[in-house]
Amino acid sequence: MRAFFAILAAFVAPSLVQAENHVTWEITPPVCGPGQPFRLQVRIESDDVLGPANQVGKEIKPPRGMALRFSGQLFRANATEATLNFSGVAPEDEGTYVLPGFNARFPSQVVAVPAITLIVSGKTGYRKEGRARAELVLPDRTFYVGEKIAGRVVMRGSEQETVTGTFGLECEAEGFNFQTEGSAFTQPLQDGLGLAKTFDLTPIRAGQGEFNLSGIMLVNTGDRISSLSTSGRDRPFNFRRKLTVEHVPETGRPADWGGSIGKLDATPPDLSNRFPEVGEPIKLKLTLVGEGNLERIVAPELPGSDSWDIALASELRQRRSEGRRTFIYTLVPRLPGDLKTPVIRFATFNPDSKKFESVEFISVAVKVSGNAPAKVELVTMDPSAKIGAPAAKMITGLLTPTVAAGTKGVAKIEPLAASQPFWLSNSAALVTLLLATLVISVVGYFAAHPEILIRRRARGALRRHRAAALEAQRRQDYAAYARAITQGLRAGAAPLLQAEPLALTQSDILRALPSANLTLLTAVFLAADGAKYGAKDGAQAIAEDAQLQAMLNTLEAQL
Amino acid sequence: MSRFLTLLGLCFWGVTAPLRAGVGEAAYERGDYVEALQTWRAQAEQNGVTAELLAAIGNAEWKLGHKGRAMICWERALLLSPRNPVALAGIKHAQGAGGTDRPTQTWSENYAAFLGADLWLILGALGFWGTLLAVLVPKLRRQPMGDWTQRILITSATLFALSIPGLYGAYTLASRAVVRRTDVAVKLTPTVLGEALNGTAEGDVLRTGRKFNGHTFITSADGKGGWVKSTELEPIWGGGLPINLDQMQAP
Repeated sequence: MRAFFAILAAFVAPSLVQAENHVTWEITPPVCGPGQPFRLQVRIESDDVLGPANQVGKEIKPPRGMALRFSGQLFRANATEATLNFSGVAPEDEGTYVLPGFNARFPSQVVAVPAITLIVSGKTGYRKEGRARAELVLPDRTFYVGEKIAGRVVMRGSEQETVTGTFGLECEAEGFNFQTEGSAFTQPLQDGLGLAKTFDLTPIRAGQGEFNLSGIMLVNTGDRISSLSTSGRDRPFNFRRKLTVEHVPETGRPADWGGSIGKLDATPPDLSNRFPEVGEPIKLKLTLVGEGNLERIVAPELPGSDSWDIALASELRQRRSEGRRTFIYTLVPRLPGDLKTPVIRFATFNPDSKKFESVEFISVAVKVSGNAPAKVELVTMDPSAKIGAPAAKMITGLLTPTVAAGTKGVAKIEPLAASQPFWLSNSAALVTLLLATLVISVVGYFAAHPEILIRRRARGALRRHRAAALEAQRRQDYAAYARAITQGLRAGAAPLLQAEPLALTQSDILRALPSANLTLLTAVFLAADGAKYGAKDGAQAIAEDAQLQAMLNTLEAQL
Repeated sequence: MSRFLTLLGLCFWGVTAPLRAGVGEAAYERGDYVEALQTWRAQAEQNGVTAELLAAIGNAEWKLGHKGRAMICWERALLLSPRNPVALAGIKHAQGAGGTDRPTQTWSENYAAFLGADLWLILGALGFWGTLLAVLVPKLRRQPMGDWTQRILITSATLFALSIPGLYGAYTLASRAVVRRTDVAVKLTPTVLGEALNGTAEGDVLRTGRKFNGHTFITSADGKGGWVKSTELEPIWGGGLPINLDQMQAP
């Protein structure tokens, strides 16, 4: 009994053993200098077949200051081992950094990778200047809600490593609006070894927030002159900054401040015509330049005066990178003489000096001719119209609306093209028309070719009579057999001779079947129709059945 | 009894007072744009929208600083009446003084705007059926084509051919939407963290393309493409008054 249990245990034990995973990792170099690129390899050996790991890059959460990117996996089909490769850049501060454990999700199982430790030491002799590295350029000061912070990621190369591109710039910053100008705005550095990527950051709420920016740069290593010996790799970068944001102070805030934050300058005003007539609109173009939230600025409203009627005609939008904003005003002189355009002051908050400043557009001298009274309606004036032409055409401004009372409208403006009944009824009508066309065409064709139906009917009758003949032959009913054969021959020959079947005799059949045996035909016709005249019986005809069947087949083939 | 009737009359007067003719215009004339807007909106909810009403609401919305709502109203007014002067002036004003962008219309869109999408479709359908019947009926009747049939065939075929660019223009005109949020980012990819390529502002009219992952592919007035969140746009076709983005939609 003991031996039996020992054998049983020996069989059962292997099935109870669980598949075991063995995870090892290696960092190259084992101890990194501050900011040194490193390579992490995680090897997984399992008892089961592994496959490609999914979403490893999302599972892993590198510690603060460390940039890490999943760069690929080495595996073979049906292999029980897998190697996960990561490329990273060590943090700038010395110390021991723990990469938290994460899950590697394979199609067959989830493998838990334990925590990984990276030691950063300044004694490794690593020289940062020799490698390509990324730097975040962002002003180190308090920011203000609504301002546009111009930031840059400078990716510096070296003699050994050249930065050739960048991609995947991602920002996680709560309370900030992050915008880049697209890949086209990645500018090369002056030394030709690196690149700079610009971005705009706009705080949207006050408080302290964390700014996290990550991305990947493409690095070429090796000889820059010979392209044969270069090799490319991507290297991630990651920046985390705590940023303090405040509201623009209320102390000293001018009443006409329209949300402008930045260091702005006014360019000399541009006037479309310095010698207008009274009532002739001219355009005054004011351009602000500098660094700041130009696109958020509200155009200042200019009140009219005794000398001028003023309206904001339009504004020109430029790209953010152009750093300029233009407002165009329409000015209409009310009085003749030597006038000056109004001085326009523009309040802006300088975030560096933390004070409000005033930007001033100087006045421009204008010589106005004419004697007309000064009442001019801006909305009905066309600046491009010739002097003296009636200003009948409205070019700008809103018209006064009129609404007719009691007019029935629609609840929802939907195109007829979106109406299902419209398309259904049209489709139904089209299908009906096409079907009717088809039916009428088919009927018309048969009407024009009646022989088709006649021959078809004859074929049917011939087959029926042949079947009847076979049945009579089986019963040894000679008279019925002869009648069926003759009827079959008549039915088959009638369409060929264009005659009625009953009117045909054996000589008519011979005209349709010239090769037929007349004697046999006569015998069959006598057996069929001659009974009433006392003819002999049709046993001979049954004996010649093969020939008669061949006649019927020949007739059927001719139909 | 007379008191009851007086009260009833006053109640009726109170209910219908805002809908009386001229109340909205009067409020608009004296600068009370909120009152004008409320009056016209009530009128639209009761009787449905017309081109005049939408154009008027657009003017009031513009005066209240709601660029997106105003542009939607004017664009929809033009769908109902392609030559509504108030809506045309409003859009021109918005493009000039207001700084909004609107794609330049192609020749087929200008052609389509001459009659309106529905009329082009009706004309196209008439031309199609006329051509088809003029060709098929003589064949079915096994008769040669008569003089009148030939005239109908030529007229219908011409009408159908003329309606094709109109239908195409109406289709491209229908594929437009108005930006309803301020400072909307145009992204490179239809993802939440997609890289912002450019920006577009409230009231800008964009051409729209396919939808994917809660985003719509748009082409701006200057021809630049990108993805914008679908919730930040309102299509010009398929609505009456502009939707209220401040209210949560019922589940």
